[in-house]
Amino acid sequence: MASSKGPASPAVRVAEMEKMSVEQLKAVKEQTDLEVNLLQDSLNNIRTATTRLDLASVALHDLSLRPQGKKMLVPLTASLYVPGTLDDSEKVLVDIGTGYFVEKTTVEGKDYCERKIHLLKSNYDQLLELASKKKTVADEAGAVLQAKVKQLAPQT
Amino acid sequence: MASPAAVRELQRDLENKANDLSKIQKDIAKNHQVRKKYTIQLGENELVLKELELLKEDANVYKLIGPVLVKQDLAEANANVRKRIEYISAELKRLDAIVQDLEEKQNSKREAVLKVQQRMQALQAGKAKA
Repeated sequence: MASSKGPASPAVRVAEMEKMSVEQLKAVKEQTDLEVNLLQDSLNNIRTATTRLDLASVALHDLSLRPQGKKMLVPLTASLYVPGTLDDSEKVLVDIGTGYFVEKTTVEGKDYCERKIHLLKSNYDQLLELASKKKTVADEAGAVLQAKVKQLAPQT
Repeated sequence: MASPAAVRELQRDLENKANDLSKIQKDIAKNHQVRKKYTIQLGENELVLKELELLKEDANVYKLIGPVLVKQDLAEANANVRKRIEYISAELKRLDAIVQDLEEKQNSKREAVLKVQQRMQALQAGKAKA
């Protein structure tokens, strides 16, 4: 089916849609709606990930302010905390993916979070653009479909 | 002429071809899924490689093997990730070739199914007239 609507201007697209039958048009609209939903899901996932990275960055900053030897409660499970002392708040282990962890300082760790957040933000912007373009196509398809159905129906 | 046996045979032929077509389509769908998984892994590994390249020579790298965090040499970690990226890229190329071949088969099956359908229609039209 026609997937990329790259070079086609809106006028050309609508003209193409007018040529299609009601069935074909319905299929196109459903397909585009599905794509829009998928893109929305991805956008939500990116937003969640960005929030988590932000929280991590804030937690790191907080950690760097704590003095060494400070008493703290260490979570062993979700409901079990054990008293302990803060050892070295300068070094942190960062999960960089595929099972690899890197030892970094809190400053480097915050830098890592910032970099990831930037990367996610640029992905988010790209996806947002793509999603709004698809939504436009879906709306156009819906409008042409309605017009066609009305054309076929008013035999009163 | 349009004997019921000929119609039955055409119908059987149609069923066989239709089954083949749906099997090819299922294979294409499976290929897409595996492809997606590999593409995601490739992306993740490339991110890891970038991070590793930003590190100083003496930085500590650990790998999570099961429940154990094992200290790894930076050079070794780099080599491992690069090898993995190579492997995944090779797999993706292989899958690409396979899916292209499958798509060609799908198209030719579709044409074959269409031809059998047309013959059946012609035969039945001939029967109706007779």
